[in-house]
Amino acid sequence: MTLGPFLFMAPLTLLSLIALPIIWYILRATPPSPKQAQLPSLRLLENVDPKEETPSRTPWWILLLRIGAAALAILGLAQPIYAPNASSNSDASGPVLVVMDDGWTSAQRWGELRSAALSALAGEARDTPAHILLTAPRALPVDPNERLDRAAFEARVRSLQPQAWAVDRADALVRLTESQFRPGRILWLTDGLDPESASPFAQSLAELAPLSIYAAPARGPVALTRLSADAQGVGLTASRIGSSEPSGHFVSALTLDGAALATAELNFAAGERTAAANFTLPPAALSRISRFQVTGSATAGTVWMWDSTDRSRRVGLVSGDSTAQPLLSDIHYVRKALEPFATISEGELTDLIAENPDAIILTDIGQIDTEAQAAVSTWIDEGGALIRFAGPRMAGPQVSTRGDDLVPAPLRRSSRAIGGTLTWEEPQPLGTFPDASPFAGLEAPEDIRVRQQVLARPGPELARRTWARLADGSPLVTADRRGEGTLILFHVTAGPDWSDLPYAGVFVDMLRRSIAAGRGEAISDEEGLYSPALTLNGAGRLSQPSAGATPLRAAEFGAVVPSEAHPPGLYQGPAGTRALNVAPEYTPIAMTDWPAAATLLGDTEARALRLGGVLLGIALALLCVDLIVALALAGRLPQFTRSVASGALALTILALIPPGDAFAQTSFGASQFDELDKEIAAALEMRLAYVETGDARADRATKAGLEGLSLVLFRRSSVEPAAPHAVNLETDALDVYPALFLSLPENPDPFSDAAVARLNAYMRNGGALFIDTRRGGNIGGGNSFDGLDQILPGLDTPPLAPVPDDHVLTRSYYLIQSFPGRYENRNLWIEATGAADKTERRGDGVSRLFVGDADYLAAWAVDERGRPLYSVDGGDVQRELSIRFGVNLIIYILTGNYKEDQVHIPALLERLGEDEGVGDFDAQDGVIP
Amino acid sequence: MISLSTLRADAEALARQLPGLSLQAAAADVIHPGAAGRKRSGSGEQFWQYRRYAQTDAADRIDWRRSARGDEYFVRETELETARTILSWVDPHAGFDWSSDPGRETKADRARIILLAQGIVFAKQGERIGLISGNRPPSLGKNAPDRLAEDMLRAQAEQLEPPRAQALAVIASDFYDGVEAWRQRLAPLANTCRHGVLLAVSDPIEHEFPYTGRTRFSRPGSTLDRLFGRAETVRETYLDKLAAHETALTDLAGQMGWALVKHRTDESALRGAASVQAALEQFGGKA
Repeated sequence: MTLGPFLFMAPLTLLSLIALPIIWYILRATPPSPKQAQLPSLRLLENVDPKEETPSRTPWWILLLRIGAAALAILGLAQPIYAPNASSNSDASGPVLVVMDDGWTSAQRWGELRSAALSALAGEARDTPAHILLTAPRALPVDPNERLDRAAFEARVRSLQPQAWAVDRADALVRLTESQFRPGRILWLTDGLDPESASPFAQSLAELAPLSIYAAPARGPVALTRLSADAQGVGLTASRIGSSEPSGHFVSALTLDGAALATAELNFAAGERTAAANFTLPPAALSRISRFQVTGSATAGTVWMWDSTDRSRRVGLVSGDSTAQPLLSDIHYVRKALEPFATISEGELTDLIAENPDAIILTDIGQIDTEAQAAVSTWIDEGGALIRFAGPRMAGPQVSTRGDDLVPAPLRRSSRAIGGTLTWEEPQPLGTFPDASPFAGLEAPEDIRVRQQVLARPGPELARRTWARLADGSPLVTADRRGEGTLILFHVTAGPDWSDLPYAGVFVDMLRRSIAAGRGEAISDEEGLYSPALTLNGAGRLSQPSAGATPLRAAEFGAVVPSEAHPPGLYQGPAGTRALNVAPEYTPIAMTDWPAAATLLGDTEARALRLGGVLLGIALALLCVDLIVALALAGRLPQFTRSVASGALALTILALIPPGDAFAQTSFGASQFDELDKEIAAALEMRLAYVETGDARADRATKAGLEGLSLVLFRRSSVEPAAPHAVNLETDALDVYPALFLSLPENPDPFSDAAVARLNAYMRNGGALFIDTRRGGNIGGGNSFDGLDQILPGLDTPPLAPVPDDHVLTRSYYLIQSFPGRYENRNLWIEATGAADKTERRGDGVSRLFVGDADYLAAWAVDERGRPLYSVDGGDVQRELSIRFGVNLIIYILTGNYKEDQVHIPALLERLGEDEGVGDFDAQDGVIP
Repeated sequence: MISLSTLRADAEALARQLPGLSLQAAAADVIHPGAAGRKRSGSGEQFWQYRRYAQTDAADRIDWRRSARGDEYFVRETELETARTILSWVDPHAGFDWSSDPGRETKADRARIILLAQGIVFAKQGERIGLISGNRPPSLGKNAPDRLAEDMLRAQAEQLEPPRAQALAVIASDFYDGVEAWRQRLAPLANTCRHGVLLAVSDPIEHEFPYTGRTRFSRPGSTLDRLFGRAETVRETYLDKLAAHETALTDLAGQMGWALVKHRTDESALRGAASVQAALEQFGGKA
C-alpha cells in the first residue's frame, strides 16, 4: 500500500491503531503503584479518613509517552518504506535489469551502490522479476537470464562484494546480448569512471530499454599509482578524480601483519589531480614494510603492495678466520651492519657463488684459490659486487708474488702502520669522500682513526678508482668495475683491529652503498614461476588466494592486468616476493556526457529508506524512558540511579581503558627494559647466578643457597657479590656471570637444544657451571648421574674425575678434606686434569664443570635473616664445612689457575737460590694469599 | 534484636555514668521497696538500739562492752533491712522492636539498655531485680544483672503477670495499642505495685511524619495497612492524634500513681536512663 512517499509492506497492521483509545482508557484508569512505608504508630490514624483516597491520576505526559510508544510500535510493525521514486516508475513493463559495476573503483561507495540496487524493485508490481548483470569479468559470470523474485534478489544483492580488479564493460555488453534477454527497464549502478568504455555501454543499454543511472564516483584519493624508492625513503603518488578543492589524507606504511610503522600526509593541492606522500624511514624499518594504504579507505586501489625487489639485498659472507669467540671476529661487525636490510648467507665462496647473491663480502682472505677465482670473476662480470676487507693475511708475506687479480688496484706487499712507537705519524682520520664516489654525501665522523692499512701502488688509475681516502690522501676504499659488476676493497679490516671505522655509523652506510653497486635483483629467473601467496580483496584486505588465482611468470610482471586469474597481491617465487598492484599509472577520469535518453538518479531518488526498524527502536526507547519514569514515581529510583550510575561509571572506565594489545605492548617494552637492566646490573657488579629449572621450590632453595653463600663470601673474603640472579638459559645473557649454578629438582624437564648450545658456548668462553643433582645417597655408594645427559642433551662434557686430594679446591681459601653438602661423604666430580691432551684443555687447566649430588645449595641456604633453612646431616659442623667448600669453590672459579701457581712459589724460589725465609712458607697448611 | 554482649556492654557503660541510686528509707513498713532501714530492730548491719537483757536471750547476744559500763546487761540490736524489688518489662511487640533507620537501634533495644543499666545500678545497691512474667524469680547480688540481661533477650511474655509481693515496676513500650487497652492491661499490675514507671520509647520518625505522596502504610507485626493518596494531607491530623495520645498516657500514669517517662531513640540513652532514675528516686522520697 502506498501513502504519499511511504510504502507499507504490512498495511493491515495499521488497523491496530484503532486500539489506541482503549489503551489510553486503561492507562488512565491505572494509578501508579504507591510507596511503601512502615509506621508502628499507624493505630493513631485508625479513624482518620484521608482527604483524597481516590488514586491519583497518571500524569498526562506519561499517558502521551505510552500512547506514542504504542503508536510507533504499530507503525513500525506495518513496515513502512520511504521511497520517493516509487510512484514515478509505475509504468514499467517487464523485468528489471540491474547492472552493477563491481570493479575495485566501486568499493569506496559500495554501500550506496548496494542500497540503490536494493531499491530497484521498490515501486514495481509485486511479481516483477529482477535480473542482475555484473561488469567485472569473472570466470563464472552471473547469467542475466536468471530470474530473481523480490526475496532472492535482495539476498543476492546483499551478498555481492566489489572485486579487486577493474570492470570490463564491453565484455558485459557481449554477455548481455548473447543472453538474448529483453528487460523492461534497466538500472545501471556505476562508479562513474572511465568514459571511454562507459559512454558506448550507456548508449547500448539505453537502446535496449529505458535506462536509469545511479553514479557514485569515489571521493578523495582513488588509487595509489606509483612508488619510488631510494636509499633515504619512499615516495608514493596518489590520484583522485579531478576536483578543485584541496584535501588532506594520510598514507600508512604497514608491515605484513598489519602494524603501522609510519604515516605520511597526502595533500592534494587545489586543482591538482595527483599528490605525493613521502616516507623518510631508516632502512631497517623500510625492510619491514610490505604495503602502503590510504588511511580510512578500503579499496584494492588505495593499497600498494611493496615487494622485496628493491629493498632486500642478498649478501654472502666469507670469513678468513674462524675463531671460537664470535664477538671478536671481523665478520661479526659486517653481519651486524648488514642484518637490518640484507639477507645474509655464509659459507664457502664456491657455494655462495652458486646461490648468486647480489654481493659477496670477504674479510681478510689472503688469496682466492684458482678455481674459485675463475668462478668469482665470472660472477662479477655478470653483475656481482665483490667487497673485500684487508687484513694481516692480505698484507702478510705469505701472499704470493703473483697475488690474485681480484683487487681494484695493485697492492704493496706489506701493510702500513700509522702511529705507534716506531713511527712519526699519528693515526689518520677519514678525509672527505670524492664527489664521483658512491659514498659522496656521507658525513665522515671526525673521531675515526685508522691505525693500519694496506697500501695501493700508485698508478694513473688509482685516483679514479678511489671511493674514500684518509686525511693524508692515501686510499681507504678502492673500487673497479669488472664487466657488469664491481670489485671493492676496504684497505682496513672489517673489525676494529686496524681502525675505528667498524664502530661508526658511517660504516653501515658505506657497506650499504657498496652492496648497491651490485646488480640488485637477480634477473636470470625470467622463467621463474611466481605463485600467489596473499591476495587483495575488493575491500583492500589481504586474504588467502582464491582457487581461481594462478601463478605468474617473472617476465609477465608489469604487463599483466589484474584479473580473477591474477588478482592483485603478493606472489611468491624463486627470487623472493613480487607484488602485483591494481592501479599502477592509473588516471581516474569521471564520466560526464551521459546519453540523453537515460535518467540520472540523485541520491535520494535512488535510495529507499526502510523505516520499520527505526520506528520500533524509537518505540522501545520511549518504553525505556517510561520505565525509568514509573520507577521514579514509585520512589524506587534513588537506588536505581545509584546502580545505573555505577554501571555507567564502569562502562566509562571500560571505555577509557586502552585496548588489550596496548597493554601487551607496554608490558612487552617494560620487560625488555628490565632485561636490559638486569644485564647491566650483572655486568656492573659481580654476582652469582642460577639456572631456572621451572620448579618453583627447587629454584627457591637454590636462590636461598646462593644468597647464603654470597653473605658468607661478603663477610669472610674480599669477594663481595651482589644479590644472585635467576637466568633463563635461552634468553638471558650468560657471559656476564662468572658462575652458573644448576640445582636439579626431582623430575627436571630437559633443557632445549638452544639452551644447551648456549651453555656450551658459555663454558667454552670461560664460564663455570656447577651442577647439583641433589640426589644424595648412601655412604660409599657411588654417585649416580643417570639422566643428566637426558636433561642436558649434548652438553659438552669433558672427562670427569673425583676431586684429587691435593687439588686446589681443597685449599683455595680454607683447607678442607671433603666436600659435604646436606649429605656427607659425597664425591664432587670435576674435569679430569691431565687425562686429556694438554692442548685440548680449556681454561688453563681450571675445571669449568663441577658435578655433585650432595645438595650443596640447600646446605648453604639461609632465610632473609640469615638463619639456615634446611637441616644438614652432620649438624652445624657439617654446615660450616659445606659453606667453607662453597667459599673455596667461588675463589677457585674466580681466581682460575692463580692459586694453583702460588703452590709452586716455594719451589720456584728455591730454584732461584733464594732460600732465606722460604722455609716457613709452607703451602700445605697455610692459607694461600 | 541486640546481642547479649552488646547489650551488656552498652548497659555497663551507661550505668557507670549514672549516679548511685538512693532510694530513701522513707517507705512505710507495709511496702518494702528495696534494701532500706525499716526503723525497727531485726536482722541488718546498722546499729539500732541497746536493749535490756531478758531471760529469753541467749548469753552470747550480750554486748559485753556496753554491759561493762554498768551493772546491767545489754543486748545490741541492729536495724531490720530488707531488699526491695524492681521489676521491668519490655514490650515484645514487633512494632516496638523497630527502627526507622537501620543505623539506629530499635526502640526495644534502647529500652533494654536503659532498663539493664538501671538493673546494674540497683544490683550494686543490693536490690532485687527481675522481669515481670519472667521464668526466674527476682534475684540479688553480682549475678543478677547477667540473669536480667539473658532474660531480657529471651522471648518475652505478652501478658503482664502481677508479682506476688510489692515491687517497683518499670514498663517499657510505645503504648501505641491505645490508652484504654493499656489501662486494662496495667490494672492487675497496678493493684500489686503501688508505684512504677511507664517508659514510652518512640522513634523520631513517629514524631516527624515526613511522608508525602501516594503511600501505603503498614504496621510492623500486624496485618494492618492503610493507603493514603496524599500522605502529606494527614500529617496535621496525625500530629494532633499523637499529642492527644501522649496526654492520655500521662493521665493514665497519674491515675495509677505511676510516673511517665518519654524517650526518643534519637536522644542519648543517658538522658532516658537519668529520667527513669529520677522518677524512681522520687518514689523512694515520696513514700
